[in-house]
Amino acid sequence: MMLFPTDDYSLIAVILGMPLLGAFINGVWGKRLGDTAVRVMALASVGVSFAASLVAFASLAQFAGEEHAAHVRLTWNAWEWMHTTGGVGNVVPVAVRFSIDALSGVMMLVVTGVGFLIHLYATSYMAGDKGFARFFAYLNLFIFSMLVLILADNLALLFVGWEGVGLCSYLLIGFWYEDRANTTAGKKAFIANRIGDFGLLVAMFLLVHYTGSLDWTGIENGASSLVVTSAAGRVSVWPPGGGEYTGFLHFLQPHAALTVLPATAVGLALLLGCTGKSAQIPLYVWLPDAMAGPTPVSALIHAATMVTAGIYLVCRLAFVFVLSPFTMTAIAVVGASTALFAATIALVQTDIKKVLAYSTVSQLGFMFLGVGVGAFEAGFFHVFTHAFFKACLFLGAGSIIHAMHARIHDGDKSQDLRNMGGLRKWLPHTHWTFLAATLAIIGFPFTSGFFSKEEILYRALVNHSVHPSASRFPKYHFFEPPQALGVVLFWVAVFAATLTAFYMCRLYFLTFWGDFKGWTVGRPSLLAKQELEAEDPEPHATDDDHEAGHKAGDLSMPGYAPHESPWQMTIPLMILAVFAVGAGLLNHLGGDQRPMDHWLEPVFKAAREGAVVIARGHTEAWAQAQEPFVTTFGVLAFACGTGLAWWMYIAKKGAPAARLATAMPGLHGLVLHKWKIDELYDATILAGVDSVAETSAAVDKYVVDGLLARFTSLLVAAAGSILRALQTGVVHVYGATMVVGLVAIGWFFATPHPNATVAETGNDDYVVTAAPGLGYGYRWDADGDGTPDKPDFSPDATLKLHVEAGKTTTVTLEVRNAFGLVKSRVIQVAHARAPIAAL
Amino acid sequence: MIPVDHYIILSSVLFLLGGLGFLIRRNVLVALMCIDVMLNAVNLALVAFNRGHLHSGPLQTYPGQSHTGQIFAFFVIAVEAAEVAVGLAIVLSLFRLTRTVRSDEAHLLRN
Repeated sequence: MMLFPTDDYSLIAVILGMPLLGAFINGVWGKRLGDTAVRVMALASVGVSFAASLVAFASLAQFAGEEHAAHVRLTWNAWEWMHTTGGVGNVVPVAVRFSIDALSGVMMLVVTGVGFLIHLYATSYMAGDKGFARFFAYLNLFIFSMLVLILADNLALLFVGWEGVGLCSYLLIGFWYEDRANTTAGKKAFIANRIGDFGLLVAMFLLVHYTGSLDWTGIENGASSLVVTSAAGRVSVWPPGGGEYTGFLHFLQPHAALTVLPATAVGLALLLGCTGKSAQIPLYVWLPDAMAGPTPVSALIHAATMVTAGIYLVCRLAFVFVLSPFTMTAIAVVGASTALFAATIALVQTDIKKVLAYSTVSQLGFMFLGVGVGAFEAGFFHVFTHAFFKACLFLGAGSIIHAMHARIHDGDKSQDLRNMGGLRKWLPHTHWTFLAATLAIIGFPFTSGFFSKEEILYRALVNHSVHPSASRFPKYHFFEPPQALGVVLFWVAVFAATLTAFYMCRLYFLTFWGDFKGWTVGRPSLLAKQELEAEDPEPHATDDDHEAGHKAGDLSMPGYAPHESPWQMTIPLMILAVFAVGAGLLNHLGGDQRPMDHWLEPVFKAAREGAVVIARGHTEAWAQAQEPFVTTFGVLAFACGTGLAWWMYIAKKGAPAARLATAMPGLHGLVLHKWKIDELYDATILAGVDSVAETSAAVDKYVVDGLLARFTSLLVAAAGSILRALQTGVVHVYGATMVVGLVAIGWFFATPHPNATVAETGNDDYVVTAAPGLGYGYRWDADGDGTPDKPDFSPDATLKLHVEAGKTTTVTLEVRNAFGLVKSRVIQVAHARAPIAAL
Repeated sequence: MIPVDHYIILSSVLFLLGGLGFLIRRNVLVALMCIDVMLNAVNLALVAFNRGHLHSGPLQTYPGQSHTGQIFAFFVIAVEAAEVAVGLAIVLSLFRLTRTVRSDEAHLLRN
């Protein structure tokens, strides 16, 4: 009897539950608990979650070791959520079911591990903020949502986590909500993500329809049905969903309907979702603005959580993506262009966090390029290494901003690279950790970034296109990208890597080398004399002291040197720096030993099987021969970028950069304003939405309010003024009116009402039925002689008649009521001649 | 024995008097009394019919056992009592509010 069997691995409840508990306690009672308790709660929840993750990972490794090359999953079924019906009429159960496999296991460790370090960092960074408890409630909720996302066993549950991280990012980016720019950035992130979510939802519906399943195993089993060779099974893109445009919309009807393979439709819809979450072209615009949040949030969003979700999803559903070569090509192209595009923007940004933000977008582009050429392990390995060095970079940037903030209180100015310089003297720990992370991201040989980026570059070159092998779908011709694509992707990626090396070194040199430009650093002994009363002899050790430092407002006066951050901030930096440099060894122990690839192999086995990834007309041997070539250019890219940055910013003290900027003011301005993409979106999409909104508002104002509402109110007012005249308010008038009414009702009941209905019963027979009434008696004259047929009144209310076709009989009905009053009515019973059918 | 017709004529005269009084008199108390006169006119008719039916009509098979009209009259008396109680309360509140019991001066809703 095992405590945690693989099919009921309830330890997942602890991994998931602790951050949720932390979020709940800090969110509900945080204010009353005080900052210390909030800090302990937040750290403990993520810490316990991390410890549980380690245990889960260890047992996963043990199970995996027992079953070689099998795809081991530790699952835990929380409860049944709902049922839906699949495309083939089968019942699709959607359970709240979590699973840990090799892929989600690694992600889980990264999320909780890096998440814990960021939490630890934030306890010091956010100290004294009035929203301290709120911040940690959000942060814990963020971790929880991300864990739901990666541990979900089906797409519907993944979507819950997907939305959860979207919500938390919105809350955290707009954390300092008093500033309008922050809330705008939060909304932008949320809306850009919503567009992506639309794609994910569409993909989910298509998957239920075609594969009849939503959980990973089911989708994997039914994936083959996504390749429908018949024309009827294809997804019609235009007209949407098939059908035909008629009438005045006929001009929208194409000559031949534009249809795609279901696999491509699913893949492109998923890609839209992933571009939103992982900040790729065209939906990347939210990520740079996400800088508005506190720095630990940026680290969390950019490194461990959120943006990696897109790559994770591509890896998770790799077996779906490989069925559509078109989608794979699209992913690779999107990734490569994003990598290059974002890198160009990062070249000239002056805000330290902006540079890092665009570098994230660029690095995510590399990851997309990797998974797009079928190198899922390489793409995911870059996610893994990126989590360390980008978290380290962001936290380092936070440490620098923290130091700058001692005297520069304006948010933008304290993050401006032009105010920094020479900081390595005063921030030694931040300096070496930042340097380590920079080396990793620029691909310094044998750092983690070097290995992961190299792998992606190599795969981009040798993988022609990913497509199902001919044996799997023998009759179907898949999309084929142009032969040159691999080479183009490779050179684009190499160029982007060169730019990466350049802008990261620029950032590093401007921050840590040269002269400090923030303020004049005075001699400590003189400063101490000046502020003996206000300052603590042990500088910058406590919060109180920090406050005192903040009071020194006038920047023209000499002040204390920037100070190193407390241990809560430097320890996470050191740990992350060690991993940033050394994580590459996890996949490169020398020789052909690839522990990470080996570990992930079962996950991607389904995608690998029956898929061709080596360039057409080439062999494995050829591919291996390209490796030194790729490595050479990878190192060259690093060397060129770094050398150029050294020459520009150290040797020439930034003069060439300034000269370039003045020589090409138009281009420089354009890049500085991020190619004006935000403006382009404003002018096209936002303006379009706005114009629709304004038209609707005008219709509402002038047609609905102005015409309809006014006309209705006039009508009511007119009726009211007429009726008002009747309401005299004098009791006698009401009494008299009532009497008149009563008399009228009395008169109605006192007089007989000779009404009758005629019904045909067939065979030229008719029945005349007189209306009933109180004490009524009836007398009929059916023969038309003017005198009643029977002398007495009888209670029988019906009269049977026989009327030949084309004849009319006149009947007189006499009714006598209880008061003896008699009234009569003449009724014509006509039998119309049937129309002549044929002559 | 006095024929039923006489009772009916008396009842109708009383009912008309009550109705006319209700419509014509402006004193709310008198109007209330007029309503009572009308109700009692109906009572008289009910009792008279009941008595008449004891000797002719469908219930003759149970002589002396049909009291429907009389019981109806009791119901009417009960309702009348309730009506007077509510009516007098209204009159009292009206008087407190307007210091008058004339109905044509009680036109608060109008103004």
